[in-house]
Amino acid sequence: MATPSVQVVAVRFPRLSHLQWEQTVVDLFHLDAPTGLSASFSPDPDGGKPFDNNQAQFQVTPSLWRDYHTAAEAVAANVTSSAEEMARFVPDSTSSDPAEKEGAFLEKFGLRVYRRPLSPGELAARRSLFDKAPAQYPDLDPFVAGVRASVAAFLQSPYFLYRAELTDEPTTAGSPLVALGGWEIASRLSYAIWNSMPDDELFRAAAAGELATAAGTHAQIARMIAAPRARATVSRFFDQLYGGDRYLSINKDRSLYPDFTATIGAEMRAELGKFTGHVYDQGGGVRELLTSTTTFVTPRLSALYGVTPPGTDRPDADGFVPVQLDASQRAGLLTLSGFLSWKGGPSQPDTIQRGAFINRRIICQTLPDPPKEAQGKTLGDQPTDRERVNALTGPGTCGGGCHGIYINGPGFALEHYGAMGEYRTLDGDAPIDSSGTFSFTDGPVAFTNAIDFSDALARSTQVHRCFADHLVQYTTGRDTLPSDDVVVGQLADRSVAGAAARDLLIALLESDLVRFPLAITESE
Amino acid sequence: MTRRYLLRGVAGVVVGLPFLEGLTPRRAGAGQASSKFAVFVRQGNGVQQATASGEPERFWPSFAPGAFTPEALAADTGRALSELADHAKDLTIVRGLRFNDPANACRHSGGGNQVLTAATVGLKDKCNSSLAEGQSIDNLIQNQLAGDGNEPLTLICGAKSDQVNEVLSYRGPLDVRGAERNPYNAYLNLFGVSTLTPTEQMLMRARRQSVNDLVRAEMQSLLARKDLSRMDRTRLDRHFTSIRELEIGVSCAASSDDAARLEAGARSLADDTQIDAVVKLHMDVIVMAIACGARRAATLQIGSGPDGNRYTIDGVQQLDFHGISHRATSPDPVLMHSKIDRKILSLFKYLLDQLETHTTARGTTLLDEGVAVYVNDLATGDHSYDNVPYLLVGSAGGSLKTGLYVDAGDVPNKVFETNNKILNTIGAAVGCKNGAGEPLDDFGDPTLEKGMIDAIFAAG
Repeated sequence: MATPSVQVVAVRFPRLSHLQWEQTVVDLFHLDAPTGLSASFSPDPDGGKPFDNNQAQFQVTPSLWRDYHTAAEAVAANVTSSAEEMARFVPDSTSSDPAEKEGAFLEKFGLRVYRRPLSPGELAARRSLFDKAPAQYPDLDPFVAGVRASVAAFLQSPYFLYRAELTDEPTTAGSPLVALGGWEIASRLSYAIWNSMPDDELFRAAAAGELATAAGTHAQIARMIAAPRARATVSRFFDQLYGGDRYLSINKDRSLYPDFTATIGAEMRAELGKFTGHVYDQGGGVRELLTSTTTFVTPRLSALYGVTPPGTDRPDADGFVPVQLDASQRAGLLTLSGFLSWKGGPSQPDTIQRGAFINRRIICQTLPDPPKEAQGKTLGDQPTDRERVNALTGPGTCGGGCHGIYINGPGFALEHYGAMGEYRTLDGDAPIDSSGTFSFTDGPVAFTNAIDFSDALARSTQVHRCFADHLVQYTTGRDTLPSDDVVVGQLADRSVAGAAARDLLIALLESDLVRFPLAITESE
Repeated sequence: MTRRYLLRGVAGVVVGLPFLEGLTPRRAGAGQASSKFAVFVRQGNGVQQATASGEPERFWPSFAPGAFTPEALAADTGRALSELADHAKDLTIVRGLRFNDPANACRHSGGGNQVLTAATVGLKDKCNSSLAEGQSIDNLIQNQLAGDGNEPLTLICGAKSDQVNEVLSYRGPLDVRGAERNPYNAYLNLFGVSTLTPTEQMLMRARRQSVNDLVRAEMQSLLARKDLSRMDRTRLDRHFTSIRELEIGVSCAASSDDAARLEAGARSLADDTQIDAVVKLHMDVIVMAIACGARRAATLQIGSGPDGNRYTIDGVQQLDFHGISHRATSPDPVLMHSKIDRKILSLFKYLLDQLETHTTARGTTLLDEGVAVYVNDLATGDHSYDNVPYLLVGSAGGSLKTGLYVDAGDVPNKVFETNNKILNTIGAAVGCKNGAGEPLDDFGDPTLEKGMIDAIFAAG
């Protein structure tokens, strides 16, 4: 078991994200579709994090409390509006004794809300509220009144809104790690894999004590990862890591790209999802993400790539068909239309931004902002993009440090791709020069084009570690900590050896990092 | 199950959520509607003003500081500020201000951290994720003037950035407030109607009291634990203090036409060509909130940290503003920056126009009662923090002198005053106090010299 090198403050009360609130309500009441109420919840601040589930941003502010409050009342009224609605979540009871019916409801439904059994004190408090309800809802049947009042209160409980992890038993005497209980592990897994509450089978496993063993958790993780809803969580990871939502605001100079319309950004985002999904489904990992030539296109995207679909595949529901791109021109996600177009200006490639993104999201190389001396300096009017970038930031300029070592090389590797990601062999009248070098931590690597460079990335330990670090951030919903180094390193090693992204996710979920969090070290 | 379906299930009452078919007339002019307030509209990327690198002056007036006439401002057509000529009599132009903390290399983030806080910049090593080490002035104004537990209205619009998004509003140190991008959501969260009878209202209160009592007890039991980390304790404590009794029977809503317009307009949030319309919808919501007394302070951040919106200028959609501000585009990005300054000022003027059309019970306009402030979290496109513009419109009930062009420092000699003094002035003008109960003079970084911009504070 890993021993952390640095003691850190643990988060024991991760709040549900708005997406998790929405999906949990669907599962809790067995609804046919989301309520949509979370769409108008007070937003969590962005905070410059790669993923929108980072706990550092999540608080219950007065505005969000009011949102929870009004949403709880709305949901309670609706799910108790008819016998049919109530039958979805109120357990069957043959008892004619109102107290027994009430007790059965509070105990069984309460377990699903709290994601653990309620204590006798908690049940007593809930009974008290239930019993007051008939006087407060004089027009309702007393049992319906109790259920409605209970639902409104349950949905505002901190045990619903947070995944409270209250266990503080060390794994062994003196260990800095806590052995979470089965109910807590169940919630960790279900929110990490499904972004929602545990299902009946996971609750059963928790109640049976099966999650206390590695074999028990392994079985549940395998089952959950195989469920279709796990794919939605994985898709969000790739979409947010590679900036898919930014593709929606792509804009191009129509005098150079007369066929451009704003809607192509949505097609490019969908292509990213289908590309990464295909890699994931086929057992691919970081290498395949960076080198695969199989993608999915609409007629407009096939024109952009200059490929003709073979005609043997019917378009999927979104109108996409699989194609093989020319392996001498394309390799992996850095050569996909969406990324290149997003990190392209209206008429020219945005070499510096392309390079900066690769550093930040693919290599995890921290970059400072430009130095003060660079402020106010702009690209010149040299004939080629490479010359313009070099004149501004290349050797001998004040940007020669950061740009020369880190940014410009990866950017130049993509010189063959124009502002919309179209392949080109000339920049103006000059042949493209896409050669360069990049200084990885284990030494500089020279390349001649994007194909070479993507291959170098796929071989770099730094890149695999970066992917593992992002996977930990997304799966745990927090920044990575020094104490995560061991697990991140283990995942990176497996990734270098060719592990599938799916297997990395499973390994992470089965690791100490998920099952045995750090104890609180900053108690007051 | 649709959202509408859910809403209709709420037994005849909607609180905080509208029934379009049941809207009641707005109550402008009643109750708090005539109270003081402050609204802040933020432009990013600096303004196109004269720089040491030789860019021409196209922002500040060509006339010298001092009192000016509407005619003089209207005639100053070569300067972007002439866009506000229609409101010249209510306008106070303040130059000569700076942010005190040089922050870090990430100047957009550091400027945003300071423009409404005058606080030091924290987490400097996080570059674009730096945060202010103090609350923002809108937060103080809302809390001191309203004290109803509601937060200041915090809005943002335009293209998202992958580096820095909301930067303006802070509850306290390192506690930036999330900003709402969708004006219709903001409206939904602000307004509602109730058709409850007094008996029904009493039952509603009783139900909510029971629920709040139960939830408070659960929170207290959690807070009593000894093994909470500081982060968890802070988080749970904020949650606990957020629990309150919601007002029942509020009758404060837009007209059904306005609500329908907001709902329709919100569908264009991702469309850059509609940015002007989206900004105006946000401003409409701000005016509704102020008119109704629902909020006493509001911020609207136009664009992300570095504003990457592609504004339509002279009928043509331009390249992203951030690139223009760094002169990375052609032709003539300097002139284009100035045109975008004019665009933002003309949008700010829309807010002023709306505030001026609302009359209060005292026969004044909303613009007479409060102050609308244009701010920029940079001075220039090259990230300078010296000579950041603050434009105040409205006298806050006579507490601010207007029709004035003021140099808070000594710009010709490159002397700049720290921006805490303008924030003190605005806060004091709308009624905020320091710890001793005197007009606010100590906002922001406590190491800064206290005080206001005396030339524009009229007391009273």
